[in-house]
Amino acid sequence: MAEKPITDEKRVFMTGNEAVAWAALAAEAEIMYGYPITPQNEIMHYWTRLAPKYKRKFLQTEDEISAGFTTCGGVLAGKRAFTATAGPGNVLMQEAMSMAEMMRIPTVVVVQQRGGPSTATVIYSQQETTLTCFGGNGEGLRLVYSTSSHQELFDYTIKAFYMAWKYRFPTFVLGDGYQAKMRESLYLYNPIEKGMPLAESYPFLGQEGRPGVEREPSHLRNTYNTEEELYQIISGYVEDYERMIPEVVEYQVSDLEDAEIVVIAHGIVSRAAREAVKVLRQEGRKVGYFRPITLRPFPTGKLREIAPKAKKLVVAESAQGQLFKLVQEALYGETVPLEPYFKPGLGITGEELVEFLQSNFGQ
Amino acid sequence: MKGTVKIALAGEGGQGVQSVAGIMVEAANDEGREALYIPNFGVEQRGGVSLAFCQISDEKVGAPKFRDADLVIALSERAVRRTRQYVHKDTLFIYDSSMQGIEDELPRNAKKVLAIPALEIAKKELHPRVFNIIIMGAAIEATKIVEMEQAKKAVEKRLGYKFAQNPKLRELNFKALERGAELVKESLA
Repeated sequence: MAEKPITDEKRVFMTGNEAVAWAALAAEAEIMYGYPITPQNEIMHYWTRLAPKYKRKFLQTEDEISAGFTTCGGVLAGKRAFTATAGPGNVLMQEAMSMAEMMRIPTVVVVQQRGGPSTATVIYSQQETTLTCFGGNGEGLRLVYSTSSHQELFDYTIKAFYMAWKYRFPTFVLGDGYQAKMRESLYLYNPIEKGMPLAESYPFLGQEGRPGVEREPSHLRNTYNTEEELYQIISGYVEDYERMIPEVVEYQVSDLEDAEIVVIAHGIVSRAAREAVKVLRQEGRKVGYFRPITLRPFPTGKLREIAPKAKKLVVAESAQGQLFKLVQEALYGETVPLEPYFKPGLGITGEELVEFLQSNFGQ
Repeated sequence: MKGTVKIALAGEGGQGVQSVAGIMVEAANDEGREALYIPNFGVEQRGGVSLAFCQISDEKVGAPKFRDADLVIALSERAVRRTRQYVHKDTLFIYDSSMQGIEDELPRNAKKVLAIPALEIAKKELHPRVFNIIIMGAAIEATKIVEMEQAKKAVEKRLGYKFAQNPKLRELNFKALERGAELVKESLA
């Protein structure tokens, strides 16, 4: 590998798209496949500008179907490969990501959500939550990290490569148009110097030695002949997935002690939620905060621990109930009331959440 | 949210609103403060109101957009109409005095509404190209988010390559910053 893109830790001020490109470099990603779509374009732009300096590669494909499948192909060849997309591009990419689930291909996809359905807006939403978690014609055997800041975009993009290759499930970093386009500070670092392991990549196809004689054969299939055969395979995958859950599930909480109302939000909306909790705590309101970082698998255990202690849970999201469904599923059987705050395709400010929460306290 | 200064800048495409926002947050960041800047962006390539949301704080900034601005600067009639929604009781609302017949459109719930002749001064005293730098000077004086010296450094950082070719531009830009600050200082005095 050529010179290191990042040596000493340094504070920078940049867009989220730029932070993702740096993270992929730091994670020693070897190739990006991509097709342009707003608001993720600059991930490609920065990658293509930076990649040649560090002997990394880029391929622009003819569409997102192709970008998804070439990313799978890059991984099969043993490369830490990734792609980035948004909106309708994310829809097209699900074809390839289903194959990645079936064949256990550790792809990494960065999604910068835009408005939906269809072309909608190029700006922002959280409407790709369900799609990113469950987009294929299967059970959604994948890892989805929902980030809320540039630091997290950097941290979790690096982590995504490691986790994808460790568990061999397709892994997604779920950002949004705000995170893509805004500028804020973060620290770039070399994960190796922090003692963080890099993904151990290896070729799935074209290995040395005679298959079945000198080594195990690589038997990669996405087609099965019998129901029983498929059932057996998927059941094994589900077992692997469930075993992984306690090792990967992540969440963030604050102010839960004595909280009567807990506000639940993910991604960038969690910043408005934290802001609101801070303001309301200063007013003496008993309000707490819960944020799933992994949306898939969902931190069900923690939420079920919190729920019975609260009088009400408020779910705030820039979508019409996509996070809400995950929360409902996690809380099946619990009786705590859920209060929706849905703004599909629209940003949520701290000020409006303060007012909404105040009204829930009966003011 | 206390301690975070929230600024909404709006104008027509080409008025340099996004450049000013970019330089301002860069200046704050270089001072070691936390800054967040997000432009509004849509499918249109030109036309439409250009809007920039900036927040500067001593701690990490919350949500990228906000409802209640501390300072709104609107540089066109459409920008005035578009930014009224960010005005509340503590907002300082600044608009350019070159706009005619805009009185009925101005927000009535602001703490203070200020007209400054930035465009006129740019044209008559300085150069139309530094109109946005005058606005930046005004924003800095109104909010004290950074020291004037830090603002100059950030302008130098952004436009230094142009100043190298023509040192008079440096003088012009710095003058514009100072004039912008003066306009607000005089009006608030």
